[in-house]
Amino acid sequence: MKELEKLFDRIIQRVNINLRELEFDVNPLVRQLIPTAQMTKFYAFYGITPHHPLNLLFRNSNLSGSYFLGKVGVTNSLLYKSDIRGDELKKCGDSFQYQEFDIPVDQDEQISIQDSFLIKNLVHNFSHDPETLESFFIQDTVSMHYANIHGSPTNGCYLGPFSTVDLTTIRDCVVGAYAYVQAGEISHLNIDPGTVWVRKPDDFNFMYRYPVSQLSNYIYFSAGSPPQGVFMDFVEDRKEAFQRVFQVVNIDTPVSIPASASLDRYAVLKPKTKIGENVLVAQRAFVQNSSLGKGANAQENCYIINSKLQGNNVTAHGAKIIEADLGKNVFVGFNSFLRGRPNARLTIGQDSIIMPHTIIDIRKPLTIPSGHLVWGLINTAGDIETNSMSLKDFSKIDTRICKGSMLFEGSGSSFVTAFQERIHHILEANGAFYSGNANRGHAQRNQNISFNTIQPYPEGDKEGLYPTINIQP
Amino acid sequence: MKNYKVKELMVPIAEYATVPETATLFEAVLALEKAQEQFQATRYSHRAVLVLDKNKKVVGKLSQMDFLSALEPQDTNLEQIRMFKQFGFTRKAVVLQQEEYLKNSPPILDVYSKAAKNRVTQYMRRPTEGEYVNENASLDVALHQLTAGSNLSLLVTRDKDIIGILRLADVFAAVYHSMKESELKLADGETE
Repeated sequence: MKELEKLFDRIIQRVNINLRELEFDVNPLVRQLIPTAQMTKFYAFYGITPHHPLNLLFRNSNLSGSYFLGKVGVTNSLLYKSDIRGDELKKCGDSFQYQEFDIPVDQDEQISIQDSFLIKNLVHNFSHDPETLESFFIQDTVSMHYANIHGSPTNGCYLGPFSTVDLTTIRDCVVGAYAYVQAGEISHLNIDPGTVWVRKPDDFNFMYRYPVSQLSNYIYFSAGSPPQGVFMDFVEDRKEAFQRVFQVVNIDTPVSIPASASLDRYAVLKPKTKIGENVLVAQRAFVQNSSLGKGANAQENCYIINSKLQGNNVTAHGAKIIEADLGKNVFVGFNSFLRGRPNARLTIGQDSIIMPHTIIDIRKPLTIPSGHLVWGLINTAGDIETNSMSLKDFSKIDTRICKGSMLFEGSGSSFVTAFQERIHHILEANGAFYSGNANRGHAQRNQNISFNTIQPYPEGDKEGLYPTINIQP
Repeated sequence: MKNYKVKELMVPIAEYATVPETATLFEAVLALEKAQEQFQATRYSHRAVLVLDKNKKVVGKLSQMDFLSALEPQDTNLEQIRMFKQFGFTRKAVVLQQEEYLKNSPPILDVYSKAAKNRVTQYMRRPTEGEYVNENASLDVALHQLTAGSNLSLLVTRDKDIIGILRLADVFAAVYHSMKESELKLADGETE
C-alpha cells in the first residue's frame, strides 16, 4: 500500500505545481476521497476487437474498475472506475484536416495518461490539436467524479465533478463542477462551476452561467466530503444494478437486440425496454422501461428511464433522460439532466438541440417546440423564454445577444451549423445510418468484444498497484 | 525654463479637504465639497480627500475614482461578468451582459444610501512608496514621479510629516507657463 500512497502524493504535488499561479490546492479536495483500500477491490478490464488496434501499456499505476479499449498507455497514475475508450483514435495513414493544412498521421494515435488521478471519468474521441496529432495526452491532472475528457489533451489541470472538457487543448486550468468547456485551446484559466462555454475564435462565443445557489442543489463539492446533490443521489440510487453486471460472468439480456444494434456487456438494460435497429448502448449506460428508436444511442454513464426516443437521438456521455418523449433527431448534450415526472412528462420536438450541461427539471408537463436550441436551467414553462430560441432565429444573430444568464457573440448561423454537423458526425460514427453493408459504426463494430480482466498486487508494499503490463496482438 | 520647487506648487494640507478615519463616505464627500467652495480662487478644484488618524497623520486618500468605485454594486456575479474579456468576449458584449444583470439588481439609490453610511477607510487607498515627494524636490523630479506612477497627486513631506499635496493640475500649469515664457523669449530673439 505504501507505493500507492507515494504515487498519490506525487500526483497531487505535480498538479499543484501546475496550478500554483491560480493558487489552487487540490490536496484537501481529493485526500481521503477514495480510500486506498477501495482502490484494491476492483479488477480492471480491457476489450479486444478486430476493428481497433490493440496496444495497452500499464506502468506503476492503479486501474481499479477501469476499462480500456484501443491504444492506451497509463504511467504513474490512479484510475478509479474510469472508461478509457480509444475507439475513435486516429490511425496510421489517416489525414487530419486543420484550417488549410492537410496533415498526414504517421502512427496510430495513443491515449497517454501520466501522473494523473481520474475518478469515474470518461476519456473518449481523439486529439483535435494539430500539434499533438498522435498523442491524446492527459498529464499532471486530477479529474473528479463523472467528468468527461472528450478529445481534449489535458496538462496540469483540475476538473471538478460532472465537468466536461470537449475538443479543447487545456493547460494549467481549473474547471469547476458541472462546467463545460469547448474552446479550442486554453491555459491558466479558472472556470467557475456551472459555466457552459463554447467558443470558436473569430467566429462565435457562447457562455451561460448557472446561478450558484440553484446549481448547488444538483451538484456541490467542497473539501472534506464527496460530491453531493441530486446528480450524485441519482447515480448512487442505481449503483446496485451495475454491481451485478460487473460481478456476473454471463449476463442474460432481458429484451431482444436487433442484429444491427449493439448492447455493451457492461450496460444495464431493465425490462420493458425496446431497442431499435442501429442502436448503440455503451458500457455503464442504464436503460429502463424505455424505447430507443432506430439509430438512437445511449453513451457511457447515460440513464434513460421511462422515456421514448423516436430515432436518431444522440444521448451524449453522462446525459440523463427521465419521463420524457423525444422526437426524431433530438440531441441531448453531455451530462444534461432532463427529468419529467410520471404526471408531468417532458416532450421535446424533433430536431431540437439540448446544449451540453442543460438541466430541465419540471413538476408540470412541459413541451419544447421542434427545432429549438435549449440551454441552462429550466424548471417551469416561463424559463423556456430566457433559455431557448428557435434554431432559425438563433441563426440570424450576427452581432451579439444576451438572454438572462446567456451571452452570445458572433455568427449564430456558424454556431448552429457547427452543432448540426457535429451531431450528424456522431450519428454516423455510432452507426445510426448503417444500411446492411455501408456506414458501419460503433453499433456494428462493437458487437463482438472480448473482455479480459487484470488485477493488482493483493498485499505488501505494492498492494493496489498493477504490475507493468504490455498487451499487444 | 524656471525650475520650481515642489513647495512652491503644493496645496498646504491646512487648505486641503481632510476627514478623520472615523468619517463615513458621505462625510468625506461633504468635506470635499466644502473645501472646493473655500478654494474658489484657484482654477483647479480638489479631486481627493485625505484621511487623517487621531494624530493628524495622513493614512489614506480617497480620490474621485475611489468614491465612484464605492458606489458600484459589490457583487461577485458582477465581478465575474467584468472578467468575461478573458473568455474572448468584446467590451460591448460584457456591457450587454452587465446591463442585463443589473436589471434585477437593487435600485441605484439604495446602493448609494448603503455606501454613504460606510466608513471612508473601507474605500480609501493607503499611499504607496512612490506617492511621497520631498518639499524641496525640483519640478523635474516631481514630474517624473507623477508620470512614472501614473499618479494624479503626490503627498509632500517635510522630514516625517506630510505638509501638503502636489496635484497633477498644478504641475501641468507650472510646466505649461514655463514653456510658454521660454518660447516667447525665443521668439523675441533672446538667447539662453
